Amino acid sequence: MVETHAADVHPPYLYADYRSTRLRAPVQPLVRIAPSPLETTVPSFPKQFVKESEADLTTWGKSAPLGEKMVLVGRVLDDSGRPVRRSLVELWQANASGKYPHPVDDHDAPHDPNFMGKGQVLTDDEGRYRFVTIKPGAYPWQNHAFAWRPAHIHLSLFGNAYAQRLITQMFFPGDPLCAIDPIFNSVPTAGRKLLVADLDLQHGIEGVALGYRFDIVLRGTRATPMGL
Amino acid sequence: MAAPTPSQTVGPFFDRQLLWRDGGTILFAGGPGERIRLTGRVFDGNGAPVVDALFETWQVDAAGQLPTGGEGARPYGYGRVATGADGSYAIDTVLPGSFKGPGGETYAPQISITIFARGLLKSVQTRVFLASLDAIKDDPLARALANSDRLSTLIATRDPNDPTTYRWDVRLQGGGETVFIDA
Repeated sequence: MVETHAADVHPPYLYADYRSTRLRAPVQPLVRIAPSPLETTVPSFPKQFVKESEADLTTWGKSAPLGEKMVLVGRVLDDSGRPVRRSLVELWQANASGKYPHPVDDHDAPHDPNFMGKGQVLTDDEGRYRFVTIKPGAYPWQNHAFAWRPAHIHLSLFGNAYAQRLITQMFFPGDPLCAIDPIFNSVPTAGRKLLVADLDLQHGIEGVALGYRFDIVLRGTRATPMGL
Repeated sequence: MAAPTPSQTVGPFFDRQLLWRDGGTILFAGGPGERIRLTGRVFDGNGAPVVDALFETWQVDAAGQLPTGGEGARPYGYGRVATGADGSYAIDTVLPGSFKGPGGETYAPQISITIFARGLLKSVQTRVFLASLDAIKDDPLARALANSDRLSTLIATRDPNDPTTYRWDVRLQGGGETVFIDA
């Protein structure tokens, strides 16, 4: 069978520098098997699932959230370069102080009553998405001494097939914390730049918000059943 | 071929932002079917509960039909819950029917599962069977694992005291490690 493989730039399950992987990473190899008919489809999200207002995280509260306003644009493509259309993209993040609205987050930083940090959109027919948000703050964590997560935005995608389901994190260009972040560094060197957004001023809002671009590539669906 | 965007962990802080209201009650367009609950716990390599996993389920309806559409703010056939302080999850759904593959193969009653968690840099995916070992032997995944005692890690067991409850635990690592698939 002829198969063209893009370089595998996903992180391994076990990456000892990221402590939480040590007891959670499966050890047994994955069993390769053809997707079931169910797994070649995705759930359909009803119209009401996504409200237009959910693309703008800065209008959730009674007034504007604190922080540096930004626009995030990008395209979702499959690994052959085809747009992934009408598919759900969810975004969540910390506020400008690096604090999540979560009871387990014990970082001594303030909540922002005007920022929930959650948005969602459907991609358009060209696979494009656009969010307006604020730049999240970096925050300390317990992984090792002086550990700080670089500012990052979580993205969750459904794609157009179950096998395309992906959760990833987007980082900011030039952030010195990336180089010392084991979660970022769990990705093979060749893949790390794929997690870093580009500054894209033209897609910002003049005088209001910086623009960033983050394109996302989802794996294709296998035309030929693999393995078993 | 463009390289796919690398996966990253969901992290520990997703609950308030990512969970759906009533995400553990699965909706279907069609008839009622047999209402069941799938529940269990997720454990790490030390047998400690995984208290912060995002647990997603995707299944056919009671007649074995692929779900399309949705209502309210949820898609048919899809569940999304988080594990609790004891590592437990639960979804209320219907017993899925069996269904056919493109080559005529029969898929036994099963639910496709995706789990994300802190410490999982990539999700793990698998399928849980809601039928006995005997009843699944023609299923493609069961056949692939026919000579492995690990197949038993994918079988939910009916609670003898409550036949509407199916129990299935997940072990991410170590003894009794659950079979995970690359489909």
